[in-house]
Amino acid sequence: MTEIKLKQVRKAYGNVEVIHGIDLTVDSGEFVVFVGPSGCGKSTLLRIIAGLEEITSGNVEIDGDVVNNVTASDRGLAMVFQSYALYPHMSVYKNMAFGLENTKMPKAEIEKRVRDAGALLQITELLARKPKALSGGQRQRVAIGRAIVRDPKAFLFDEPLSNLDAELRVTMRKELAALHTKIGGTMIYVTHDQTEAMTLADKIVVLQGGSVEQIGRPLDLYNAPSNVFVAGFIGSPRMNLMSAEVEQSAQGGICLVSGAHRIDLPEIAGVAPGDTVTFGVRPEHILVTDRDNADVSVTVEFSEQLGGQTYLYCSGGGLDDLTVHQMGQMKTEKGDTLHLALDRTKMHLFGADGAVIVNGIT
Amino acid sequence: MVPVPIKGAGTNADPNRVGPMPDTDANASLSEKLTALLAVPVVLFFRLFEIPFRAVQRVGGIKAMPYVFLLPNLAFFGVFVVLPLFINFAFSLSGGTNIFLSDRVYTGTEQYEFLFDCANYLDPQTCREDRFWKAIFNTATFVFIQVTCLVILSLVTALILNRKIRARGFFRAVFFFPVLLSPVVVALIWKWILLRDGILNAFLVSIGLDRILFFVSPEWAMFWAIFVSIWSHMGFYMLILLAGLQAIPPDLYEAAEMDGTSPERVFWKITLPLLWPNMLVVVVLALIKGVQIFDEVFVLTGGGPGTATQFIVQYIYTTGFASRVQNFGLASAASVVLGVVLFALTVAQLAATRRKDDV
Repeated sequence: MTEIKLKQVRKAYGNVEVIHGIDLTVDSGEFVVFVGPSGCGKSTLLRIIAGLEEITSGNVEIDGDVVNNVTASDRGLAMVFQSYALYPHMSVYKNMAFGLENTKMPKAEIEKRVRDAGALLQITELLARKPKALSGGQRQRVAIGRAIVRDPKAFLFDEPLSNLDAELRVTMRKELAALHTKIGGTMIYVTHDQTEAMTLADKIVVLQGGSVEQIGRPLDLYNAPSNVFVAGFIGSPRMNLMSAEVEQSAQGGICLVSGAHRIDLPEIAGVAPGDTVTFGVRPEHILVTDRDNADVSVTVEFSEQLGGQTYLYCSGGGLDDLTVHQMGQMKTEKGDTLHLALDRTKMHLFGADGAVIVNGIT
Repeated sequence: MVPVPIKGAGTNADPNRVGPMPDTDANASLSEKLTALLAVPVVLFFRLFEIPFRAVQRVGGIKAMPYVFLLPNLAFFGVFVVLPLFINFAFSLSGGTNIFLSDRVYTGTEQYEFLFDCANYLDPQTCREDRFWKAIFNTATFVFIQVTCLVILSLVTALILNRKIRARGFFRAVFFFPVLLSPVVVALIWKWILLRDGILNAFLVSIGLDRILFFVSPEWAMFWAIFVSIWSHMGFYMLILLAGLQAIPPDLYEAAEMDGTSPERVFWKITLPLLWPNMLVVVVLALIKGVQIFDEVFVLTGGGPGTATQFIVQYIYTTGFASRVQNFGLASAASVVLGVVLFALTVAQLAATRRKDDV
């Protein structure tokens, strides 16, 4: 069991700093997912932990030991690459045994470990094949097997599912979760797919532009994003985010004015008339109601009928892109007018700087 | 020369060209018109070709056209390569000094028997044509040492130049540069360095050593023959190996590093196996080139001292053209022997490249 700590880690290529002082603790046995858009530094951060990239300043600690100057091969971590990086000239068995042979492990022990990992990943019948004779999913399993046999201190996954088709990705995602439960090692997983992050992680680290935006359990990020970026990144379809001016309301509270829409809210600490704020509400926290109870009235642009649920994409009154989620099937046509009420208790309010003011208004 | 299409050149029909700047538009169409006008004679010239080709196509049909286009090249290849090959074989079965085949005496396999008449094949002195066997032994020695050193040096250079070192592009160019030089120029440059009063001897004298007569000692002559040919050809093989090295995905090295692999093991277990197809090509090409060695060494040492650096191609050349008695038959027979060896090596090379495609 292994704990990994990053302390004020910075990485620069020449004058360009790409990782801006990251502090992070990965607890022993935890499944941590680094998520963020392309170029946010998540892969770089993983490679820093792996030892494949050097850092400019700060410390990387594994089980309390600073490993800044320890080479990748001596850190005892295993990595699964996006491209799988299987040795093309070796059989699956050899691929998995290669790392163990480096440690001068007895042949019998190697054989046992490879066979066990093969059985665990259901690739026993593929052991004699070369990687080129395998499908994408099978290669993925071999790459994971190559990591497992070494019984590493921690597993590092660099976008391992991004080369698989959608269906296989869902299957492998479940298997990875099951694998973590079964072998229970410390795992760090990089992805740009927030669904993978939500479903796999014990803890999600949201990165953007080389900085940590928020660290937390999946549902905590979902329910209480600490800024506009996380609010928009976590959750699919995205949270509706709208910018608004704050005005004094006639009823004594405040009023958010966005285009032609006026949304009355009670008094909120930190929000004063004249401020510009962003308010956010998730598609599933918008209720379809009648004209009298509506916060906003919009026109349906198009709808997605999935059978079990319906997504409505609406606009009107200065809102360009409002997504509404409804359970079940809902007959609507383009051009229909919808009267919508926003669930105040699930509403998020962000200041002009993007930081959250309040998650859920009571 | 490709005829410039004149279609639509005079009109200004292209809707994409309609822009806010009518000035440029008018200019463009004017230059287009000019180009079209200039192209007219070119187009007419190429139209001329259509007349015979149409006639040919009417006779042979569309399926015959590829052969019509291949014919000029095939004829050239046939006259200057294939035909001489057969003539050479015919010469090797004849004797005498006459140049025209019709004047020559048919001798059957006599020339071959003469070449292969040896008491002991391992000792050239016991052979009737000892110069031929000496040339074969010299060539074998040369090829063995030269190819071994060449491949190892090319590999080492490629490995170094594949790393992130300073001025990598410059060094790659430097190592490749001798390949661009004519073999004669290479030999002359080194001759000036190695002569009795050459630069190297001047240097030896200046540091207080005796001068060495490189072209008088058989061992030194062979050494420099090998050295110069390695120097001039290494860049080419280095380039093939460098291309092979760069085709190995960097991920594999990172995976190996994560697997805790030592650098030596990475080389033997990952780099070398993945470079193997390129290595095979390099080895076989170097072998073929090595067996054919002639021009550099001929200019550098003239085959001497004595016959110490006389190789098989030089033997053929001397026997056929440079002796007082021009023995075409014997030279042709020796050529056929050399041809058989080269054919075997070429087959090996083709087999090696085919395996490369499999991987």
